[in-house]
Amino acid sequence: MTAPQNPITRAIWDGTLPIKFSLDSAEAAELGAKVLVEPYFLEAPRCSYFPLLTSQIRKYFVDMTNMALNFIGDDAEIWYDVDGIPLKWHYPIGLLYDLHTGYRPDSNSPPPLPWPVTVHFKNFPIDKLIRAQAIDATQDFFMSMIKEADFLRNGSTKKVMNLSKNDQTQLLDGLWSSFSQKYRTENYDRFWSINYRLVTNDGQLPKHIPLRIYLPDNCPVIQEPIAPSDENGNQLTLGDVLHQILPELFPSPLPTENAFAAPVIHGVIPQLNIPILWASQNLCYPDNFLHIVVLLET
Amino acid sequence: MSSQAADLTSLGTPQPPIPPPPFNVPPAETLTPSQISQNPSLALEKYKKKDAVKVIVRFRAIGNAPILKQNLYKINASNKFQAVIQFLRRELNYKASDPLFLYINSAFSPAPDEIVANLVKCFNTDGHLIINYCTSAAWG
Repeated sequence: MTAPQNPITRAIWDGTLPIKFSLDSAEAAELGAKVLVEPYFLEAPRCSYFPLLTSQIRKYFVDMTNMALNFIGDDAEIWYDVDGIPLKWHYPIGLLYDLHTGYRPDSNSPPPLPWPVTVHFKNFPIDKLIRAQAIDATQDFFMSMIKEADFLRNGSTKKVMNLSKNDQTQLLDGLWSSFSQKYRTENYDRFWSINYRLVTNDGQLPKHIPLRIYLPDNCPVIQEPIAPSDENGNQLTLGDVLHQILPELFPSPLPTENAFAAPVIHGVIPQLNIPILWASQNLCYPDNFLHIVVLLET
Repeated sequence: MSSQAADLTSLGTPQPPIPPPPFNVPPAETLTPSQISQNPSLALEKYKKKDAVKVIVRFRAIGNAPILKQNLYKINASNKFQAVIQFLRRELNYKASDPLFLYINSAFSPAPDEIVANLVKCFNTDGHLIINYCTSAAWG
């Protein structure tokens, strides 16, 4: 089945980030690595998740060292950090990049690429990250997010629950195979032919838009029920929503007066006058949420 | 069914003390646009503040899950959902290895790091957050 043609969702699906994975040096020595271990370079899809890359990262570092003898743990014990901050494995990779680098695409400096990420085989930080029993948990977390999004749109999870077993498998398989460059179009079609029905809500106006807003400096994540239009039926824009939720940072819904804060979605600053419904349907991550990172002028 | 919500004091996971602001920060509510445009991070102080508001959660056992002595509890809105999971496990005397599944509105399982205030804002029923729990996966 092919997905409806949409150059925007396709470009987001194709978006990748070059990442430089280095083994934590103290752990490398503990695990018995005799020499300096070369980093592993990978072009990761922005829409994917770190646990989906873990098996190939593990294989690389095990092959590069004699670690196979010393690490017998589950893939779920492997975790990642950037500058000492553990990366939430249940967040999409692109969101983590935008959040942790705080890189504003309108700045004059080049983006921090490849993104330096440290790999850990030991000392899982259970106080900072959710400890999964197995790597499959990523799939459960993903499906829970899709259901949460459905609940925001419809006040129930009927649309997701009514997907046939076949449709659900196709949705997950498409996303789980998304790092395969060779079958990118096939996987896009597999995922989006099903996901299209969810994000467009079968043509019905959703009650609320599934969205989350992330601010710098460890501010708590913001999630509020946002209707797609006001009481008079006028479509709300991205600027309207940001102004409503963050009036100090967005004193006006209009672009010109908001010089110091900017929303970043998929590494891009979208225009504030796009309807929030359009943004939700076109710019959401595969988990059906519009994840908006708000960055301040540096 | 108990109609009075017990204060879930045992649930208050210790929060690190909020460090004093580096300089004299005016309350964000009174910030003028020009103050913010000169130093936008001032506005962040407001969003960082922990909400001291308490909200009411209502637990409902599903299937053969044991029933709690009471089912309404007050909880700090700034808590993560993880605190709710840990509290319920304690009340039920469940070990970490005992299977326990929590759902909102019989529909989905929020991630443990989701903030209770957000869940209440988005999914409350008459102001209460309804949490169903069971010993085997119920809604996928």
